[in-house]
Amino acid sequence: MGDIVVLLKAALNPEMVRSKPDGTLDQDAIPLKLSDIDRNAVEEAAKLKQRLGGKVIGIMVLTVGPVAKREKDLKMAVQEALAKGVDEAIVVADDRITPGDQVQTAKIIAEVIRSSSINPSIILASEATIDETTGQIPGRVAAKLGLPYISFVRSIEVAGNKVIAERDLEEELEKVEAEMPVVVSVTQEINQPRPPTLIQIRRAARKPQKRLGVDNVKHVIGTKRVILERRIVSINRKQQIIEGSNLEEIADKLIDVLEKEGVIKL
Amino acid sequence: MRTLIVAEYVRDALESVRAAKTLGSDKVLLLAFGPTALEAENLSGLVDKVYALSSRNPESVYNSLRSIYEEEEPGLIIGVVSKNVKDALSRLAGAYDLPMSTEVVEVSVEGDSVKYRRGILSERAYSVEKVPMPAIILLNPRVFEPEEAKPGGEVVKLEEGNTRVKSIGISRKQLSGVKLEEAEIVVGVGRGFKKKEDLKLAFDLAELLGGQVGGSRPIAADFKWLPEDAWIGISGKRISPKLYMAIGISGAPQHMSAVMGSKVIVAVNKDKNAPIFKQADYGVVADLYQFLPILIKKIRERKG
Ligand SMILES: Cc1cc2nc3c(=O)[nH]c(=O)nc-3n(C[C@H](O)[C@H](O)[C@H](O)COP(=O)(O)OP(=O)(O)OC[C@H]3O[C@@H](n4cnc5c(N)ncnc54)[C@H](O)[C@@H]3O)c2cc1C
Ligand SMILES: Nc1ncnc2c1ncn2[C@@H]1O[C@H](COP(=O)(O)O)[C@@H](O)[C@H]1O
Repeated sequence: MGDIVVLLKAALNPEMVRSKPDGTLDQDAIPLKLSDIDRNAVEEAAKLKQRLGGKVIGIMVLTVGPVAKREKDLKMAVQEALAKGVDEAIVVADDRITPGDQVQTAKIIAEVIRSSSINPSIILASEATIDETTGQIPGRVAAKLGLPYISFVRSIEVAGNKVIAERDLEEELEKVEAEMPVVVSVTQEINQPRPPTLIQIRRAARKPQKRLGVDNVKHVIGTKRVILERRIVSINRKQQIIEGSNLEEIADKLIDVLEKEGVIKL
Repeated sequence: MRTLIVAEYVRDALESVRAAKTLGSDKVLLLAFGPTALEAENLSGLVDKVYALSSRNPESVYNSLRSIYEEEEPGLIIGVVSKNVKDALSRLAGAYDLPMSTEVVEVSVEGDSVKYRRGILSERAYSVEKVPMPAIILLNPRVFEPEEAKPGGEVVKLEEGNTRVKSIGISRKQLSGVKLEEAEIVVGVGRGFKKKEDLKLAFDLAELLGGQVGGSRPIAADFKWLPEDAWIGISGKRISPKLYMAIGISGAPQHMSAVMGSKVIVAVNKDKNAPIFKQADYGVVADLYQFLPILIKKIRERKG
């Protein structure tokens, strides 16, 4: 077994959206966290390693700068991945990276995989991030590296040199097979990520981390995308908690209010 | 401007044709694959040329796309989001370093650029962006009205060719056929329910109110306590009923963004700090196992 690579994104946390008084998004005030489904990718990498051996290498490109402001979030995201099963992390962070540009991100990831001493058997990513939710980075990386790609995977097995995976489509489950090396994007249903043990958390701090800037990576071009406007979607709900001395009273009040709103007819 | 449409489903092809025409394309090509390839003749009158690929394998879609892209040099490559389409186009994007945007809800062409709007941060915010062509734009369903199919044009059949990923079996998911997007009342169930049998409480409530039952992603996709067409959220169904009652659901952005079109949202959750209470009109802080039987009893009484 060669290396198991996991692509990890420190993503803007949608549970903590912040806006300026005029409703435009205050991106600098939104913290980053390891993107949700990337945790499933790490868990799957750890499980594959347990069965097959190999080393788990995490690659993270910081796409929300400036770097100095994001050091703390970045460190937490990397630590989390290391505690949950990544053996070694490669982080690319540089203020010259254009925020959120997938053309550039994929180029950097492909270049890191090509130019370091990584010998991937499987490259795992998630089906979609919590901030951009485009699901395009793994496909881009596969095309750049000329590797087969299996998307939206709900289960993986490895038999000899082959990967057998179940793809989750709109109305079907499709079983496919391919020879390694292969790029795989996983869905949230592939596993239940386990919380790391105390020992794993302690060990994480001692695991190797490599930091790169864009000078270490060839062919990185500027962005083509111009962001014109980013605004928060305002939520205007009544937020009224129905109180009462017991549940019977609360139920009565709820029925009354829903009848008054005209949304139920009894 | 030349536009290349990629479609796996017929309705998506018809919506994309409308989009291509609205955006002012002077030549429209359609790569129809999988089920849409069977309808290639029927669609051919709408566009300048249809390429029909019977395979659904995204790798062979990608290989076909590459040769059409090289030959026709389209400025715009569009489609409606679906998994195989996303897969194939993300590879094309990678191969030619094209900008690609998905889940787009508004699009226009300005000179040599495309301007569009899409949800970001799990749809808690939106972004208006502009990219130079050539570019890939994947639209959300129903952004454009579908065209009527029209036969009588040119169809070129494509060969599947060799692929490195091979399909070795397909099984259909168990779907119920419920149309949550058309329901007036939806009862949503989340991980606050401890076992599948307990969902009976939600089904009883929905039946009394004349509504349907849907659920959060873990309930439908992971535990499989509901069929997957009852999965509500940005990766499932988007609903806009008169009343949405979320029971034992925490209020994650990926769930809530898809129910914001509801007229009234009620949340029942035992944790008074659950984020859902900030996104609901009426909240009940209670254990669903205690509250629902009482609510059901009261509604029965009032119905007489
Ligand atoms: C890219 C992406 C896409 C996603 N797409 C979707 C999607 O389309 N739809 C979706 O739903 N999710 C989606 N998710 C998952 C989402 O982030 C949440 O994990 C999920 O919505 C949580 O489901 P839940 O609210 O049922 O469970 P939980 O978050 O576990 O919440 C359960 C709630 O029940 C309450 N509770 C527990 N016991 C009781 C009781 N006895 N009585 C009352 N209340 C109780 C708890 O207080 C808690 O608030 C997506 C995630 C990602 C990253
Ligand atoms: N900046 C990044 N660095 C490393 N991996 C990434 C990055 N962006 C995206 N990925 C990977 O690609 C997946 C899908 O991302 P996206 O295309 O942005 O939805 C993520 O879950 C990661 O596995």
